[in-house]
Amino acid sequence: MIKAPRVYACLVLYLALSGTCRGQGAFDSLQGKMPRHYFRTVIGLDLYRKPEVSLDTSSKIGRKLGSFGMRQVYLSFSTPLVTKVFTGTDSSIKNTHLLLTGNFFSLRPVFGSLDRQHRLTRNSIGIRYIYNTGKKTVWFIDVSPFVTRDATYRSRGVLRMASTLLCSVNESPTFNWRFGITKSFIWGNRYYLPFIGLRVGRLDRVHFSLQFPRSLNLTIPAGPQLVFSLYSRPQGGVFYFSNQDSLYFRSGERGFHFTRYEICTGLRADVRLGDHFAFYISSGISSANNLFFFGNEANKAQRVSRYLSYFYRASLPGTLFINAGVVLTFGRTRSYFNDRNLYDATDLNAMVDNTGNPQLPLRPRKLRSDYNLESIEDLVEYAE
Amino acid sequence: VKHWRDIVLAVLLLLPMLTLAQNGKGDRVEALRVAFINKHVRLTEQEAGRFWPVYNEYHDKLKLIKRELRQVYRRYHEQAGEEVLRDLYQAEQQSRRAELDVHTAYSEKIRGIIGYQKYLRLRVAEENFRRELLKTIREGAGQDD
Repeated sequence: MIKAPRVYACLVLYLALSGTCRGQGAFDSLQGKMPRHYFRTVIGLDLYRKPEVSLDTSSKIGRKLGSFGMRQVYLSFSTPLVTKVFTGTDSSIKNTHLLLTGNFFSLRPVFGSLDRQHRLTRNSIGIRYIYNTGKKTVWFIDVSPFVTRDATYRSRGVLRMASTLLCSVNESPTFNWRFGITKSFIWGNRYYLPFIGLRVGRLDRVHFSLQFPRSLNLTIPAGPQLVFSLYSRPQGGVFYFSNQDSLYFRSGERGFHFTRYEICTGLRADVRLGDHFAFYISSGISSANNLFFFGNEANKAQRVSRYLSYFYRASLPGTLFINAGVVLTFGRTRSYFNDRNLYDATDLNAMVDNTGNPQLPLRPRKLRSDYNLESIEDLVEYAE
Repeated sequence: VKHWRDIVLAVLLLLPMLTLAQNGKGDRVEALRVAFINKHVRLTEQEAGRFWPVYNEYHDKLKLIKRELRQVYRRYHEQAGEEVLRDLYQAEQQSRRAELDVHTAYSEKIRGIIGYQKYLRLRVAEENFRRELLKTIREGAGQDD
């Protein structure tokens, strides 16, 4: 098992660069190479923070903890591995995409009265498969096994699996609906939930999107480089927490499961600076804050379904939060302008990692005179 | 925490390089061309769903061939020997044949999807876009002077 985040970082960079190199393929009998993939390598770094609030001290554990605040760092990537393109008998173009994904999550729950704060990690390397049927439908499968551990006390790792199976139907560029099933931990427990999605409006224009259980968004592009969105989304997870502070009463237990969720509602601004770099900042209110501590022993029989027996629970008042991140994209792709299925596929791919959708083509408003020669050579006949 | 600091630092160090290396203007011209064609060809939603993937593929292949051809022309110089000249000639002919093959194959596919009238509208729109682009560049160059 890979232990150090530094090794993960090297792996991410290697995959990013190798993905770029593999994105080339021979075209017919010519020497030139056309990009093979439709997806670019995307790396996202997300930072989130919210202030401490006092916990109810009527219980023994509440007194031991004192207060709760949160800081988290989330590094994610996705890179295309294999792309296959097929032409149907009716000239429609179908394609399949296999992507490698990774998520490296570091959560620091700040409990004011603990002597030493815990850093909880969740690291994952997964696979994502997208099939564009060339008609109206795009299939999406995401399998993401992950390991959680308490890095502060170098605890053992607990292996888990998150996954999603979705069918996305593009009735028109302005209307999309999705259905499927997801095994998710974002609601602070191990849930098997139906996935139901609905989007009204074109992805590259103002649109409203409801994606249960993940998000609710109103997206407002304010130009080719700036996108605002009003959103509400759950955020949470299940982490392994070392019992070094003797929070769990059972003697001999080295750790327990710390689960949390909250609903973040806020305003986000995404700024794109060129094809390779974007950043975003958002802020708003975090509500429905809940913490649970589950003992491993008490829930041993619950291997598949959600945990039921908790030994500590806290519901916290709403607070403000701040969230910011950078998104890097690498590699050349085939063109997919106005291809509603591929716009949808990029949206599905971006949905998981909170990176916005950096692959949607920019929408310039008018011709400008400062375009570079290379781009113009491609468009103007050579002899003209 | 130290590890995460390393990662953040590494990413921050990479950013200026990526920003300098970025070249988003090509894609913006492409996006404008697509918007121009969209406006002038007037496809139905059903036609657009099938047309754009095929047209994008067609355009990618033509772009590649044109780049190949430019490479051939760049390799030419006055002092080139007979063997080099023959190779360049053959490469040029191969590019031209490939261009014609792609044009013929995809024209047929596109015509099959959108019909004769919209196919011709498409070609006229492509031509007009090139004119607009050249006009804009000329005007920009005039302003700079």
